[in-house]
Amino acid sequence: MVLSNIITVENLRFGYPKNEVLKGIDLTLHDNELVCLLGVNGAGKSTLLKCILGILKHQSGNISYGDLAQQINAGDENTSSKSVSSEDLDPMQMARYMSYVPQSVKSSFSIDVYDTIMLGRRPYIGWSISDMDREIVSKTIEFLNLEDFAFRKFNQLSGGERQRVIIGKAIAQSPRVFVLDEPTSDLDLKNQIQVMKKLKILVSDEKSPKAALVAIHDINMAARFADRILLMSDGEIIAGGTPRDVLTPENIQKVFGVTADVIESQEDNRFWIHVKDEIGGELEDEHVFWEHQNIENEG
Amino acid sequence: MNPLSEQHILKSRNQIKSIVFLGISTFVLALIAMGQGPYEKLDIWTTAKMIFGFETPTSTEHSIIWRIRFPRILMAIVGGVALATAGALMQGCLGNPLVSPLTLGVASGAALGAAVAIMLGFSVIGGQLAIIGNAFLFALVVVFIIIQLGSTHSVSAESYILVGIAITFIAGAITSVLNYFATDEQVSQLMHWSFGSLGRVDRDTAMFLTFPVLSLVPLALKWSWDLNALSVGGDEFAISTGVDPAGFRKTVLVLSALLTALVISFTGLIGFVGLAAPHMARVIVGNDFRKLIPSSAIFGAFLMLFADTLGRTLFAPIIIPVGVMLSVIGGPFFMYLLIRSKGR
Repeated sequence: MVLSNIITVENLRFGYPKNEVLKGIDLTLHDNELVCLLGVNGAGKSTLLKCILGILKHQSGNISYGDLAQQINAGDENTSSKSVSSEDLDPMQMARYMSYVPQSVKSSFSIDVYDTIMLGRRPYIGWSISDMDREIVSKTIEFLNLEDFAFRKFNQLSGGERQRVIIGKAIAQSPRVFVLDEPTSDLDLKNQIQVMKKLKILVSDEKSPKAALVAIHDINMAARFADRILLMSDGEIIAGGTPRDVLTPENIQKVFGVTADVIESQEDNRFWIHVKDEIGGELEDEHVFWEHQNIENEG
Repeated sequence: MNPLSEQHILKSRNQIKSIVFLGISTFVLALIAMGQGPYEKLDIWTTAKMIFGFETPTSTEHSIIWRIRFPRILMAIVGGVALATAGALMQGCLGNPLVSPLTLGVASGAALGAAVAIMLGFSVIGGQLAIIGNAFLFALVVVFIIIQLGSTHSVSAESYILVGIAITFIAGAITSVLNYFATDEQVSQLMHWSFGSLGRVDRDTAMFLTFPVLSLVPLALKWSWDLNALSVGGDEFAISTGVDPAGFRKTVLVLSALLTALVISFTGLIGFVGLAAPHMARVIVGNDFRKLIPSSAIFGAFLMLFADTLGRTLFAPIIIPVGVMLSVIGGPFFMYLLIRSKGR
């Protein structure tokens, strides 16, 4: 099977004055692939996603959107092999190609959940909503089991419910690539698994090739659902490959600073990471500090 | 069809029905307003019959209806639509419910322009249009500052509001200095201008203002998807649905500010309608800008008509300026609506 690259990032750099966030990132994203991005806070995961989406303008390097190039260059024979970068694209084209679930949304006036998910159809709509748009939104709501609050105001929902609605908007957008920034951070255990499962279903559908790039903190969720994992540390990707290849005790110790065991499941071919302890005993030092405080206060 | 889709269509239809009902109420109110005035023979019923051609007016009556009463009513509608639409647009694109068309400092600029014309006798156009011309020119300077601000890198919604507040303070301070050195007559003239009145507008002006206002409303409707995206999820969320927030915000603010400048240079300061009408519309149709824009526009016209008609009739023959009347009756009504809607 030939894998087509739908996003290629080459030597991407981004930074603020005195703070380089991304230090030469290379990555490719293929069809039917769910790629998880793991790393500590501040490793540059969200920044990388925002650069890919064109929300942040990278300072050097190249991002190309393989499949979009074919669509745009279709009428132009001379440039059919040329890739397209974010500067060449208008926001609407980007929105049809990639949909985004941000870490949090800042809502000032809220509308119905149904209309919020309808915003995913915005890149396809002139002004009036077609029957097809409505069907897509209704089907998305059913797919994510959001029927109970489809006509409630977005700001009256709990954090987890809101997150599922925003994921619904991303799905209704029918993109080639899902770019999700911690999409399960506010969800309960059952919903975390359901959302990841459903994402996996969408991405695995070979009839409509899609891919997903997901920044996530839960190592075990990544181990279970990712086709590939990229480990990020300090603005660089330090390891990439299948979950088994990447999630080794050594890598976990290097990136997260914790000791962990890989435990094989007895029933199926799965494994999970058992995190044992943090390195360096910072917690014990802190404990001593608080005890001193108490003694001083009592004295 | 999916039951959820059906429910969505049904909800949408009900909202459209509310908007149509609001439109009809405003039309009826306009007819009632046309029948108010010191010339008693032209009461509501007779005037309505004459407007619809069931009765032929004498030439005096024709003049009263079309040269005296109609321009005022038209200006109330046009001004209300303009200020309320501008208010809804600005609240949406700045993501802030406290914003009104006067927040960006356009009104303070206009007031300073009027003060310069009245107190220093300096104006760009001479004659009767001196105050109006100056008010508009100074408001344009504010619009120009907004354009410049919008062109700077990574300007946020908050920066627009803060710069607007700064402009308001600066222009207000200069106006105060001018007031300090002015004669009593000049001070009262400026005071009179700042009340906000529909009486200064003749038919040609009202007709002239109708075109820019009417062309903004469809444009605003076209923007409603972008406004929804911005107000539901903020800038990054909006980008992911295909909006360019910085460019969009600049376009919307400049056009809204221009329209506000155009209206208030002729009428004087009318602020409240631009803040209140969008919120009143929200109580009825919610925050979806596709419904909110038309209902705000109609609510704006309704409020202006209602306030002006009451101002003309309550203590007739004394006319209370519409700007004052709007705040006096609109304020408590606004608070009532807000408290009631929060209680639900």
